[in-house]
Amino acid sequence: MTGQIQERVREAGAARTPLRITGRSSWLTAGRPVDTTDTVSVGDLSGVSDYVPGDLTITVRAGTTLADLARLTGEQGQWFPINPYGSDLGSIGATVATGSSGPFSHGFGTIRDLVLGLEAVTGDAKVIRGGGRVVKNVAGFDLVRLMTGSWGTLGVITEVTLRLYALPAHRATIAMEAPTDPEPLAERLRAILNAPVIPYALELVNEEMSRRIGLPTRPMILVEVGGNSAAVSAQKDALGKLGAVVEGPSDCWETMRASEKGARTVFRVSGLPAGLAMRWDAAKRILDGPGDAMMHASIGRGTVRCILANNLSLDAVERLATVDPGSTLILETAPAPLWNKLSPTAIGDRVSQNLRQAFDPFGILNPGILGTIS
Amino acid sequence: MATERLANDLAGIVGERFVLLRPSELLVYNSDGLPGYRRKPRLAVFPGSRDETIEVVRLLAQAGAPFVPRGAGTGLSGGALADDVVLLGLHRLKRVISIDAENRRATVEPGVVNLALNRIAGPLGLLYAPDPSSEAACTIGGNVAENAGGPHCLKYGVTLNHILAITAVLPTGEIVTLGSDTGEREGYDLLGAFIGSEGCFGVALDVTVKLTRKPPSVRTMLADFTSVDDAARVTSAIIASGIVPAALEFMDSATIQVVESSIYAAGYPADAAAVLLIELDGLAAGVEADVAVVRGLCIEGGAREVKVAGNEAERLRLWQGRKKAFGAMGRLAPHLVVQDAVIPRTRLAEVLATIARIAATHRVHVCNVFHAGDGNLHPNIPYNADDPDESERVHLAMQEIMRACVDAGGSITGEHGVGLDKLNYIELIFSPDSLDAMCRLRSAFDPDRRSNPGKVVPIHSCQEWKGTPAASRETAGASA
Repeated sequence: MTGQIQERVREAGAARTPLRITGRSSWLTAGRPVDTTDTVSVGDLSGVSDYVPGDLTITVRAGTTLADLARLTGEQGQWFPINPYGSDLGSIGATVATGSSGPFSHGFGTIRDLVLGLEAVTGDAKVIRGGGRVVKNVAGFDLVRLMTGSWGTLGVITEVTLRLYALPAHRATIAMEAPTDPEPLAERLRAILNAPVIPYALELVNEEMSRRIGLPTRPMILVEVGGNSAAVSAQKDALGKLGAVVEGPSDCWETMRASEKGARTVFRVSGLPAGLAMRWDAAKRILDGPGDAMMHASIGRGTVRCILANNLSLDAVERLATVDPGSTLILETAPAPLWNKLSPTAIGDRVSQNLRQAFDPFGILNPGILGTIS
Repeated sequence: MATERLANDLAGIVGERFVLLRPSELLVYNSDGLPGYRRKPRLAVFPGSRDETIEVVRLLAQAGAPFVPRGAGTGLSGGALADDVVLLGLHRLKRVISIDAENRRATVEPGVVNLALNRIAGPLGLLYAPDPSSEAACTIGGNVAENAGGPHCLKYGVTLNHILAITAVLPTGEIVTLGSDTGEREGYDLLGAFIGSEGCFGVALDVTVKLTRKPPSVRTMLADFTSVDDAARVTSAIIASGIVPAALEFMDSATIQVVESSIYAAGYPADAAAVLLIELDGLAAGVEADVAVVRGLCIEGGAREVKVAGNEAERLRLWQGRKKAFGAMGRLAPHLVVQDAVIPRTRLAEVLATIARIAATHRVHVCNVFHAGDGNLHPNIPYNADDPDESERVHLAMQEIMRACVDAGGSITGEHGVGLDKLNYIELIFSPDSLDAMCRLRSAFDPDRRSNPGKVVPIHSCQEWKGTPAASRETAGASA
């Protein structure tokens, strides 16, 4: 089946026809615009190539949906704890290609930490493999990290091997109110990070996001914990000592992940974790106004994520990009002018350009999705 | 450029003391931690600062001179050997640039020793998680180059998972920042590609590492078995149970004997066929429950006894035997080969049985001491390299062991790297097109392929390089 992708890429290369790479075409409207109507789809490449539950690894074809992956592994009491923002109808191939992760990256790392191996078709129609099917591997130069998050511009990912975890016996989502002012907020976040809890997810949500996920319309801190029953109850107790806690709705992470549906502008502001409260406050002020911006932040990573139903003014985005000196603004979904102004290319450096040239010599794979190369 | 002139120019940057030319002075750099390989550097240069390092790399670029970066030389793949080229030693760059406890990160120069970083992080309640057994000597720069592992990588991940940013000087002389020490970064994961590139992509000038909060509770147990097979099966059972131990190490009777007769004696039961050293960490309440489950799995699986360390001193003693096992093997023979193939964790028992058969066939003495929880084997064979017959048998046994691991669905190296040692094995697991893609990746960082030449990927695998002088040299020397 990889052979069909290979053939499609070979023909496109010969004709110099650019290709838009798609998986399930269900959720990845993000990224800079790709200017082509021709596509190559891995949507039909789905299912398991290899799964030995006792190894806690699985090899699946790229078009396998996250929902199918969750079902297959769930049947064996296991899971792939990435849960990227968007929907479970999306494919694992797209998740890897776009380097997408979700709230559980606090406890399990991002997608690049959990991909063990992959197969891809390069722009000159070569089928290549990196990594392997074992959990630890340093053989050869790392094509897995290279391809993960490269948005298809170095190759069409056709198969991936993933590290799995056992589903915990017990889980709980614990919510507590977050102080509104930056200083008490910073104090509270520090206390949680130093408390005897080892969360799977640790997020700060604003009023609007909190309301969406079924909690009071106030800024809240959400903590997902899991493990054996002793570990879960000890963590609940530890959090209870920091403030009043309530149990969050069981589907709150799903609701949060799906919240960007229909959004016009989605972006992240990332910086040092200790600066999160200030960054959060600044972002809140800039976004304050008409509309109902949803915001959430990864407390451990220091990243604030903003989801807006409307188009944001360039002026507001520019102010966001400079809320603190070390911070970086990363667009996820935005109208074309914003991309051009804020981030014309993500691969402008010499090494990235050489890589693009080496792996896609005809420039046919998702051209423009990481910006233009001068 | 003539060697003397190059040495003079380098001395102009770093001072005469830090350029070595005489064979007697270079002797110590002829091998790394795998003494079976010897290569003579043309000269060695040891810059003392970031600026000197940049100047040295730029001078080498101008001269078109190939070079091999080297940290502490503790590597186990022959990766840091310079075969008649310049050896660039980085151990003098040992400044800890900053420690940021609140943001749980530190920025260090590449020559900082792994354990030295942990001595600073420890009192802050933090640790740098990757803990290769050579932690007391190996450097962070070397750890980055090899994507080093260690016992605790089972739970905490390898070097790749603990590096936030690197500033590097590429072999071209360009300075690049890979990753970000403050947050996320868009674009290709050049940081991920650089880590584990075995010195072929450039030289790290500073490395920002993630520090991890020390677990509130740690329990270390020793389970002893009268059968290797039982110990292997229990390992698979613990992994399949879903509990992720902080470490799960395996030692067979040959290893136990040599450790117990050395100064590193750890009190392992001398008559055991194998022991498992298992560490569980996390929140006190949860850990105790997991200890009970693991103990149950061990006993059910045939363990004679499961001993839990009662205090920190007992815990450290149990670990000392494991961490110093390689050193203890020096008692058996002057040389040691070790491989570090990785196999799926459900295949441990059968592969260990195969290794025992191979050892018997070739009359070699295999000591197994390895990261069982990851499926990362370390079959060690102590031998005398000056005995050609024994060397040949060791070589054949190692080849067969490698094949058995690959046939089980494994990889040829889990943490030591390919270097020189596994150059001939890499074609067992990667197709010509995949190897060529690796060459393309390397060329993006080092277009002239001057950094650590001849390592990791055989030159004949690189399609665009065919017919270049370096490739013909390799072909000519292939039978050597």
